[in-house]
Amino acid sequence: MSDENLSLELEKLCIHYKRHDDLLSFIKKVHEKCGYLSPENIKNVASLWNVSVGEIYGLTTFYVFLSTKPLGQNVVRVCRSTPCYLENCDMVIETIEKKFNIRPGGVTEDGKFSLQLVSCIGACDQAPAMLINDELYGNLTPGKIETILKGL
Amino acid sequence: MITIKLNGSNVEARRGMTILDLCKEKGISIPTLCYHPQLTPTGACRLCVVEVEGARTLVASCHTPVAPGMTIQTHSPKVIQTRKMIVELLLSAHPDFCPVCNKANVCELRMIAADLGVGLPRFRTKKRYYPIEDDNPYIIRDLSKCVLCFRCVKACREVKMANVYSVGYRGHSSKIIVDNDQPLNKEVCRQCDVCVLFCPVGALVLREERFRKISRKPFIIKG
Repeated sequence: MSDENLSLELEKLCIHYKRHDDLLSFIKKVHEKCGYLSPENIKNVASLWNVSVGEIYGLTTFYVFLSTKPLGQNVVRVCRSTPCYLENCDMVIETIEKKFNIRPGGVTEDGKFSLQLVSCIGACDQAPAMLINDELYGNLTPGKIETILKGL
Repeated sequence: MITIKLNGSNVEARRGMTILDLCKEKGISIPTLCYHPQLTPTGACRLCVVEVEGARTLVASCHTPVAPGMTIQTHSPKVIQTRKMIVELLLSAHPDFCPVCNKANVCELRMIAADLGVGLPRFRTKKRYYPIEDDNPYIIRDLSKCVLCFRCVKACREVKMANVYSVGYRGHSSKIIVDNDQPLNKEVCRQCDVCVLFCPVGALVLREERFRKISRKPFIIKG
């Protein structure tokens, strides 16, 4: 999508969200549309909402599900909160790191996968858990991870 | 007018004033760091906590309005202990090169620590070191020394109306950012030193004042 088209579309979208004074949902929508929040997008959002660029950047960096860097096609989000930590989430992270040869926060060279460490995803009963895109996978073991990643 | 029990004695208070305002009027001193009379309260540092009977936790007096029938203790052992711990934690994350800091003698954090009798912190934590930002011809920013009181954010927003600063990231890595986390170097900062005046520690310093003795009278540091 060209820059001009994008900013036009954002402007249209913005009207709806502005009515409800819902900046966060708007940012989420932009994130969904563009994959990540580039400096250009942040600037656009800031000017649409009449706030400073820093404010939008601060909001984006606060939430772990919003990214300011390009993500892979599939985003693997591994939970690192206490229950998952106790159930050995380091094993999950290590397995994925080895499989894709990336560090947390990185993207594979072909741009297909990115690995992110996140806070609680609400699946404490199935710890250790991870999200791939919007799909939840719990009670992970190295073998199980292998099968899941193969199936993608 | 409403009646409030403050440290055991009944006092009159006006509706809408904060507990801190009331204490100031009655001559009770409460240490504050993120609070500044010219800015709206933030409630970030929790140094001004007081004990209110019936409240679940200690409340920050700088932004809690008085209510009829409140019973407040401003210097109970629990409050003092909490304040000391807060300062100790702040100091443990703060770089310990005060002797070479520009604000050494006029640092509010040091003054509060001395007043509360907090010495070297017991905790060994990872300090947050950031490169010194000296791209700006006027202000030198050293975020390692920042205590995240948000006074510069508020000062820029409310006094200068410029909105240069905001708060970014989360938890241990949260910091005061400019735009997309860029070094401070903006046109609006020309000839403006509002944030420098409000900074309680040495995180924001005027370039011309750096390495020069600050002519203000130093705080008297006890202990």
